[in-house]
Amino acid sequence: MPQPKLQLDRISLRFGGIKALDDVSFEVRSGEILAIIGPNGAGKTSTINSINGFYRPQEGRILFEGREITRLPAYKRATLGIARTFQNIALYTHMTALDNLMAARHIHMRSGMLQNALFWGRTLREEIEHRRVVEEIIDFLEMEHIRKTVVGTLGYGLRKRVELGRALALEPTLLLLDEPMAGMNVEEKEDMARFILDIHEQQHMTIVLIEHDMGLVMDIADRIVVLDFGRKIAEGTPAEIQREPAVIQAYLGEVTE
Amino acid sequence: MSELNNFADHPLLQPLDPALDTLPKFFLDRAKRYGADKVAMRKKRYGIWQEYSWAESLAHVRDFCLGLVSLGLAREDKVCIIGDNDPEYYWAELAVQSAGGISIGIFADASPQELEYLVNDSESVFVVAHDQEQCDKMLELREAGKAPRVKRVIYWEERGLWNYNDPWLLSFPQVEALGRAYAADHPGAYEELVAAGHGDEIAIFSYTSGTTSLPKGAMISHRNLIYSTRHVVIIAPFYDTDNYVSFSPLAWITEQSLGLSNHVQNGIIINFPERAETVQQDIREIAPATLLFPSRLWENLISMVQVRLSDSTWINRALYKLFMPVGYKVVDYRDAGKEPPLLWRALYRLGDVAIFHPLRDKLGMVRMREAYTSGAALSPDALRWFRAIGVTLKNLYGSTECQTHTVHRSGDVRFETVGPPAPGVEIKIGEGGEVLVRSRSTFQGYYKAPEATAKALDEEGFFHTGDAGFLREDGHLVYLDRVSDLIQLANGESFSPQYIEGRLKFSPYIQDVMAVGGWDTPFVSAIINIAFENVARWAEQNRVSFTTFVDLSQKPQVYALIRRDVERVNATLPPPARLRRFVILHKAFDPDEAELTRTRKLRRRFMEQRYGEILHAVYDGQEEVRVRAEVKYRDGRSGFVETTLHIESLEQKETEAPSHARA
Repeated sequence: MPQPKLQLDRISLRFGGIKALDDVSFEVRSGEILAIIGPNGAGKTSTINSINGFYRPQEGRILFEGREITRLPAYKRATLGIARTFQNIALYTHMTALDNLMAARHIHMRSGMLQNALFWGRTLREEIEHRRVVEEIIDFLEMEHIRKTVVGTLGYGLRKRVELGRALALEPTLLLLDEPMAGMNVEEKEDMARFILDIHEQQHMTIVLIEHDMGLVMDIADRIVVLDFGRKIAEGTPAEIQREPAVIQAYLGEVTE
Repeated sequence: MSELNNFADHPLLQPLDPALDTLPKFFLDRAKRYGADKVAMRKKRYGIWQEYSWAESLAHVRDFCLGLVSLGLAREDKVCIIGDNDPEYYWAELAVQSAGGISIGIFADASPQELEYLVNDSESVFVVAHDQEQCDKMLELREAGKAPRVKRVIYWEERGLWNYNDPWLLSFPQVEALGRAYAADHPGAYEELVAAGHGDEIAIFSYTSGTTSLPKGAMISHRNLIYSTRHVVIIAPFYDTDNYVSFSPLAWITEQSLGLSNHVQNGIIINFPERAETVQQDIREIAPATLLFPSRLWENLISMVQVRLSDSTWINRALYKLFMPVGYKVVDYRDAGKEPPLLWRALYRLGDVAIFHPLRDKLGMVRMREAYTSGAALSPDALRWFRAIGVTLKNLYGSTECQTHTVHRSGDVRFETVGPPAPGVEIKIGEGGEVLVRSRSTFQGYYKAPEATAKALDEEGFFHTGDAGFLREDGHLVYLDRVSDLIQLANGESFSPQYIEGRLKFSPYIQDVMAVGGWDTPFVSAIINIAFENVARWAEQNRVSFTTFVDLSQKPQVYALIRRDVERVNATLPPPARLRRFVILHKAFDPDEAELTRTRKLRRRFMEQRYGEILHAVYDGQEEVRVRAEVKYRDGRSGFVETTLHIESLEQKETEAPSHARA
């Protein structure tokens, strides 16, 4: 059995007396699309936040490519290759789409302050190299027409796309997507789904995503983890999940007379 | 009226040298001459204009040509090319023609049904398809057994096709590799193929947009294409330092003659935009020497400028308000054949610095020598607007079958005409006011349709355009309408719906219009299609809340807004031709629903049938009408929308009919 990309081992996360995550364990296999679903407040975003280091679970361990990262701060996890997008878009709204992506390249920059100030030598070479990477992403996500547009003036669907672009600019090996299609119309959703599948297919990217649109999840996910009240209640392929009584119950409520 | 053409002795109109009588011969000759030192094409990729020299271009064309030959392409074989404009498109077309084949351009947004018709009608053996989307269409056809002749589909954009693994599909570089292998075994093969070509061979089929029937493949020879460029070039020369932006579909004959044929004959540099959405920006960066837009794109530009301006600073708006009348005034003087007085010229100079030049810069027109409009008639107001900001738009009137018919000359641009016959083109008026054309670029007939050909071409070789018009004493042609679309009103006067539509479309709030009337109807009415973006912006500024297109289109405030434009246009029409009632449609006219042709001309008959219920209500005096319209989605599914449309009536003021107006 190959090394899993990511392992969550008996994670528990508390905020005061509230248990956001309760003894959650699952693993993400290399190269798969794993969807996390569940009702509101089930702990989906808390899971993602624990993976990328925004939250520190009180109990349990998180292993990334076999290496324990439970205590690592978020920025170090980013350099290891974990990138994410947010449920409520978090971009520099006053900057252009291009600058937002370039900013994400910062963790890959090596040049020193003096060279940067003079924009010379390594700085210049690096800038060109980073721009190339960013332009490839712009091409991939079909954002040429908004390259120089200030992000704050873009529509919601396009801002989501810029955010995905920024996550890709980190050149991650694990991509965490928190509701990438929330609030989009059908056409935008289809575009986004196509991009996610293209990233998966072309770069063999491992992707963990949270999504409410069940039709879409069933279409694109390889496996699904279902959370309810901070606990994992099911895990399996889309077909298995659709048959799972615990899932039906969590979504439709208990059947009472 | 050939006495108007004093070009008979012009060197460009002499018989072709057999060494240079096909597009590939010209291409090979230029490529050998220019080599690696001169830029042939640029394509914007990754935000940078990537350059291709003539030597590189030649290598691609030669390799792709020999690759196709090794896959079995023979002389006179047909190859369909479908996709957006890219260097690969040009290369593929020249490669096919180099081998003596015939290329057929197809609009990138063609539906699988349209594609099926074109691929089979032309009997194509290869299809060169842009990307996954087009390959999927072809795979769908093959699954259904509807592409029996097609040997291979070749794509040039790999994205999304990584895991297809279908031997029927080949990538552009794969075919080029086959070509290089073939060349190794057959040295000189490419040059021999090109030399075997002849000017009278067919270069392309250009399918007519089919306003009335199924598209027909007009057979265009190399000679036709070479001369068609020259008919324009004689009065508006091009140089090998000129930049050209290729964004009009190559399925359209004008891109073939102004773009490809111009490229190989005159060496102009072809620039390909990054993506359809960035065309305007890319044009600005290139600032090309010439631009040819269909009329509606020019009109869109005006709407765009007006909308942007209303969002701009007060100082820009004030300058625009201050200097536009100056621009118009100067244009009026020039039209009257007078030099404007010094004061006006000085004011215009100021206006040019303050607003006209910045505007032209924004539109990418600072280095432009020739600006052409074609397709449906452009409203005189739009022509006037562009001249006021210093852009002399010239009408270029033509057809697929005979290419350029007429074109305005510098210093002799008349708003109300489409210009005098182009050099080397003869025009006469036939029965029923029909425009007849004959030139060196008159086509060779419709493919597999001798009857249609006989109808379109008479014994003297004149092409019957189906357009109504008349020649004025100054030699200019006035285009009225399609002969079949002139409409006789109850009082016996005829009017042109297109003219009314053209005037109405000058409003930034109106996207499309269909004017209806005549024969059995007592007055003229119209179905209007709002320009959603602009009306939505207007609604926002005026605090009119709305949810969807359907909702917005039926707001009383929007009706009042559109009504103002209708009244403005009515004031310029003779009373019988005025609109008395109009309806705002709940949706946009859509080529996907066959309401418009791909070049966005209205399909009137079809529309009259489709909107029969609405028109019935309009002429029945009803105030509103419920509609249930079928909508076809891009993927082929269909559904229904149901809504109530309001019918607006206008008071008929019998007075104040301006005597000069004719519609």
